Amino acid sequence: MTESNAAVARFEDAEEVERSLGRVARISEVPEGADWNAVEQVMLQRRSIRRYKRRQVPAHLIRRMLEVGRYAPSQGNCQPWKFVVVRDADVIQGMEDYCVAACQKLSRGLDYTTHPVGSWRHRITRAKARLFNRLQPNMLHPVPMTVVTAIAEGRFAVFHRAPTVILLLMDTRGIGSPEIDIGICGTNIVLAAQSLGLGTCWVGFSKFLNQSREWCARLGMEHPFELTEAITVGYPVGDPSHLIARDTHEIAWLEGGKKEVLY
Amino acid sequence: MALQSKRERRHFPDWDNPQECIFQRVAIDLEACDGCKLCTLVCPANVLEVYGEKGRKKARVKASQRGCISCNNCRAICENGAIGATQANDFVGFYRQLGRGNFAMPRRF
Repeated sequence: MTESNAAVARFEDAEEVERSLGRVARISEVPEGADWNAVEQVMLQRRSIRRYKRRQVPAHLIRRMLEVGRYAPSQGNCQPWKFVVVRDADVIQGMEDYCVAACQKLSRGLDYTTHPVGSWRHRITRAKARLFNRLQPNMLHPVPMTVVTAIAEGRFAVFHRAPTVILLLMDTRGIGSPEIDIGICGTNIVLAAQSLGLGTCWVGFSKFLNQSREWCARLGMEHPFELTEAITVGYPVGDPSHLIARDTHEIAWLEGGKKEVLY
Repeated sequence: MALQSKRERRHFPDWDNPQECIFQRVAIDLEACDGCKLCTLVCPANVLEVYGEKGRKKARVKASQRGCISCNNCRAICENGAIGATQANDFVGFYRQLGRGNFAMPRRF
């Protein structure tokens, strides 16, 4: 038997090994239609919280959240993350001010909806927006563009006046697609927060900070690290725990030689 | 067969054209709404407001606003179940929604 065949055989025999040891691990049977378990409940009740109480979150709870973040799966176990925790209101305000200024620039340059239809400003910004839309279709989606202008006009806060902001920095040298690992790590963090009675919100607009040499130095976003997402943390205002309806999505189900489409 | 034609993929919707960017308008049950204002605070798109005189305030969608993202944060915070989005938003051209079914509450399988 060649070496690679031996490896395959070992893989196929895994269950046999368990049996021969007389230590067959129990399978937990979940009946159809069973109630949500604690983890599912947390996942279903998590909302993006943008209104927080002023009260600061105890430091040990932030440490707990980051602790489970550390155990997120990552490609090749490369763990391409670094955390920055900001709990000083004046620093958060400084980050806010920088991102607001960036949104003002972006809104002025591209949001033609703020100019009267038919005006030359409308025509020029619309032509520019059309071009950038092709180049950056994700960034210039109609949804975030309404938010950019709301931020620029002071109707919306980037960091939601949260008492704590966690910055997720990515090691750009990570294996495969490190952005995905950052997403999984952050998901661990926000679900842990939810289970601890805290509210969180992902803040992609925080990425503007990467453009500032000063903020990069201050927050450690220097090569090979890059700010990928921020997560605001605090106690939510009101009780946002009622379950809600959401879109269903197409599920292609391949089984028994057939393909079915479910929702 | 492609899900989107080349022509459709080349078309970027106008941000301020309600026929091209179709944002949901949330449904409000005025009987159940007690005008508590919490939904207006948590709405990420800032499209909700309360109106009416004291004691009989109700929530409504602002006339001049676009941008509801059907997140249902309003539904999640409403004690009376009086408000909520029942559909996702949609766009024409490049951003047209694909492979979506109806809205559904969490289903136990």
